Amino acid sequence: MTDEVIEFDLPIEADHVNRFAAAVGDEYNPIYFDPQATQEMGFPGPLAPPTFGVTQIFQVPRDERESKLGANLDYGRVLHGEQEFVITRLPLVGETLKGRMRIAKDFEKEGKRGGTMRFVTYETKFTDIDGDEVMTAYYTLLQTAKDVG
Amino acid sequence: MSENRIDTNRIFPQRLTLDGVTPGMDFEEVVFGPLTRDDFVRYAEASGDDNPIHQDEEYARSQGAPTVFAMGMLNAGFLATALGHWVGGPQHIRRFKTRFTNRVWAGDELVCSGKVVSIEDGLIKISLEARRRGEGPEGLGLDDEQSAIVGEADVELPAD
Repeated sequence: MTDEVIEFDLPIEADHVNRFAAAVGDEYNPIYFDPQATQEMGFPGPLAPPTFGVTQIFQVPRDERESKLGANLDYGRVLHGEQEFVITRLPLVGETLKGRMRIAKDFEKEGKRGGTMRFVTYETKFTDIDGDEVMTAYYTLLQTAKDVG
Repeated sequence: MSENRIDTNRIFPQRLTLDGVTPGMDFEEVVFGPLTRDDFVRYAEASGDDNPIHQDEEYARSQGAPTVFAMGMLNAGFLATALGHWVGGPQHIRRFKTRFTNRVWAGDELVCSGKVVSIEDGLIKISLEARRRGEGPEGLGLDDEQSAIVGEADVELPAD
């Protein structure tokens, strides 16, 4: 496990939020696009969906993540095992978040059918322009055991 | 175009408050789909997950999959959409965790369900599940219905 950290910007853009909301079946929800409705709810404007943090892959593609954080995973046998978001507040359309990505956990476990499975959790903390916490994403990859047969 | 949309005004018009929630309470199932390959493409473009295993039939086969399948986070995104509507809006979600247990295929419906587990320090603890429902790819002999995601969420609601 390395101590490396990748820092990047995550812009929250209106068109992108609309396309993302549509892709997850929520395009008619005014919270994602309607300035007046969101202001009446007490927000400065439209928000991004709770899972929008996955779009960090646009800013930090897999190859960059791997070369900088160096988990040395064998992607031929890697699955997305788990995903977690801890949300202080939903991102606001128009702001740019600061992301800090690192490997938070890296451990091995015996597989049910023999061999060793490995779990790697990438943690990304997102903060706003004031440095306040917005949300944290935990992206856990599971490397399955090598074929023993 | 996809049919996978929630009409906010039609399905969950009510505002939910802490008083309106009790442990053991089930939310009304939300069904998305049947999912199409266009849904996978649209999510790839919006999310940045351009792994060809979700879009390119030949590539998927070369990786040992019978055909393309949905990204886990697309299914989780639908589940988060359902959760947001159950609790009166996504702005109330404080934590959302998902574990991926089975693949979801084009042609499947995604059946989202949720249950209030407990209320702790004003946070509503909710257990979540998304099940795939459909025949699945030919020749796999899959059950018609399988758990695809299990998850949990913490939700913070206004007191009244």
